[in-house]
Amino acid sequence: MYQSLLVARYLTSRVIPFIAVAAVALCVALVIVVVSVMSGFLDMVRNSGRTLVGDVVLSWDIVGIPDYPELIAELEALPEVEAASPVIETFGLLRMPYRMPGGGNKVETVQVWGVEPESLARVVDFRDLLYWKKPTAEEAGAMMPDDPRLEEAYDAEADAMAMRKPDGSPGIVLGIEISPFNRRQKDGTYRTMGRFSGEQDAGHWMPAEPTGVVLTLVPVSESGSIDVEKKKPFKIVNEFRTGVFQIDSQRVLIPLAEAQEMLRLAPAPLYARDGELDDGGRPKRLGTSPARATTILVKAAEGYTPNQARDAVEFAYADWTRRAFDDQAKLVKPPPGAFAMTWEERLQDLIGPVEKERGLMQVLFSLVYIVCAGLVLAIFWSIVQEKTRDIGILRAVGAGRTGILSIFLVYGLVIGVLGSLGGFGLSTLIVGKINEIHELIGQPAPAARWSAIYPRSAASIVAAIVATVRGSFLSSLLWIIGALLLGGLGFILSQHRGVLIWDPSVYYFSRIPNHVDVRNALFTMGFATLFSVIGAAVPAARAADTDPIRSLRYE
Amino acid sequence: MSERGDVILEGSGLSKTYRLGRVDVPVLRDASLAVRSGEWVAVLGASGSGKSTLLHLLGGLDRPDRGGAGEVRFLGARIDRASAWALDAYRNRDVGFVFQFYHLLPELTVLQNATIPTMVGFRWLRGQGPASRRKARTLLESLGLGHRLAHRPAELSGGERQRVAIARALANDPRVLLADEPTGNLDAKTGEGILDALAERHRAGLTVVMVTHDPAIAARADRRVRLVDGRLVEVPA
Repeated sequence: MYQSLLVARYLTSRVIPFIAVAAVALCVALVIVVVSVMSGFLDMVRNSGRTLVGDVVLSWDIVGIPDYPELIAELEALPEVEAASPVIETFGLLRMPYRMPGGGNKVETVQVWGVEPESLARVVDFRDLLYWKKPTAEEAGAMMPDDPRLEEAYDAEADAMAMRKPDGSPGIVLGIEISPFNRRQKDGTYRTMGRFSGEQDAGHWMPAEPTGVVLTLVPVSESGSIDVEKKKPFKIVNEFRTGVFQIDSQRVLIPLAEAQEMLRLAPAPLYARDGELDDGGRPKRLGTSPARATTILVKAAEGYTPNQARDAVEFAYADWTRRAFDDQAKLVKPPPGAFAMTWEERLQDLIGPVEKERGLMQVLFSLVYIVCAGLVLAIFWSIVQEKTRDIGILRAVGAGRTGILSIFLVYGLVIGVLGSLGGFGLSTLIVGKINEIHELIGQPAPAARWSAIYPRSAASIVAAIVATVRGSFLSSLLWIIGALLLGGLGFILSQHRGVLIWDPSVYYFSRIPNHVDVRNALFTMGFATLFSVIGAAVPAARAADTDPIRSLRYE
Repeated sequence: MSERGDVILEGSGLSKTYRLGRVDVPVLRDASLAVRSGEWVAVLGASGSGKSTLLHLLGGLDRPDRGGAGEVRFLGARIDRASAWALDAYRNRDVGFVFQFYHLLPELTVLQNATIPTMVGFRWLRGQGPASRRKARTLLESLGLGHRLAHRPAELSGGERQRVAIARALANDPRVLLADEPTGNLDAKTGEGILDALAERHRAGLTVVMVTHDPAIAARADRRVRLVDGRLVEVPA
């Protein structure tokens, strides 16, 4: 077809189409880079959140679920479930071991999880979450020389998994952000710093703190009334890091049995409430109220989605509850209202805002498509203007209006496709190297680099003078612009002292996500191509409407 | 098919008015011309007399004034009322245009320029196929351009460009060639060569309607008509 021949010739014989392709490519690259980085952060939040929740969460607050070991055994027998672990969730006050300048110890409000470390480790990667453990060779290289983890006999992992000190005192694992001594560094690692001095101070290394913390919990009865608070000292056995600030700055882990004890959820004698007395004249003991857990974390079996596991858990729980109600031997019945959620539903308060942010960015950056269409429209308008005579010639040899229209639509399509592919390539390059680029910007420019630019700027000035003498105004202007750009670049580089735009000591993640979100990239490329064709449509219609007589009349 | 000597292209009662600002400028007023098959007709006239307009109406590039009685017929069929598609096909297959300023596509080579009407004619398989290229090559070689096939129009002389334009006009074997001042932009010697090329095709049976302001060039035609005040009058031999 003559259209393809002309499009190929128009595309390769001029500079303007390349400007259009470059404009589309830049627009596409901009959107893909932003959306990929945002999607990467969303994935990070989701994965980090999931690491401490498992796939499915079954919960009944305050009074908890009795006979949970029986329930867990039934859940683990399901094909959809690989493992389950009991947890007690509550809130408490944590008195920190250090004093504030005004006197008194710092007290933090914390979210308390009573856990069984061994069973928890079967549901989530608990060991991986522990921060203070024997480092890998690579990690060891980045540590301060006096870091206690470098010692040969260092072992904080065993205490964390036992959740008690070798002397038997109960242990607590804190979120890494709870202690103000833990300062995140620019490389994303933590160093224990003096609270007020800001200096490296291994003496404040939290897990080595000998005095420990005091945890205060308030038991709440089934009817909602508050009992006398329970205080208990805990020794810090380790810290954990999930990667989600809200979790790492608020949550502490204690042994499940301790939590049950403090919240009155441990096994206890059960007495008759109707005033019935035993032979000794005391309230008649009916039996023992079983231990309870407020939450069951469930890991889905291989090949099952969290949604499938949730449905199976809900069904199994309903069945178990029904049987428990029929079982006269069970004195305490499980709550029929306990409900299961997938990790995604449970963490919606964390994931939701990031998802919305990404959506908002996508919508805002979609304006770039309109810029894309506008650029193509402007460029094509001038191309059609320039090609008026060609249009007349083609009409004279029998080309129809639709034929002329299709030349410029195909032209727009080709520019959109080439621009999109170029943008995808550019964004892949940028996103793949985003951390390297970021690090490069974060360092001062080497003097050799910027000082070499000045002679080139000076050479451009000389070339501009030569061009002026020869009477070429355009060449002279281009050389002057080149000299100014080079001089400006040299000056900026000489003044550049290193700017970390994404400072890991401020933001949570230590690395910027560096994977292109292919699904969104394809979406972006499709839209950029579509808008390129839309941008080309107006000039194309104008071309089709061109009167051949007018365009052929004058040379 | 028409026999040699039958009327092949006829314009009768043609009127065309252009609007310049607020003023209507009548260019053609009841102009009539009947061209016989195999005939070479020269249309003489001063600059601005409406010669090119007449050619455009006959070639289906333009239509006579609405409401006028004018009509254009090719082989007896009205083309002034034909659909846009039919007019496109008419311009592509039945007539060929040669312009004073050559009007070649600057990005295409000589061979591509001469092949473009075949490609436009929706003959997809033949359009880009070797057959159409071979035909265009033969045409160009017969016009003395065999050594210029891969050149761009900007690399050719005026005479060469006009010969490429002739090859392009003849690409689809039209019955009628409409030439608008084909030598108007050339020196006398080169112009003579172009007229020789047209004469050769005319001898082979091609009908030619040529517009010129030069009586000497018009003398090469079988018949001459002159546009005076928008009307055509026969010029005695």
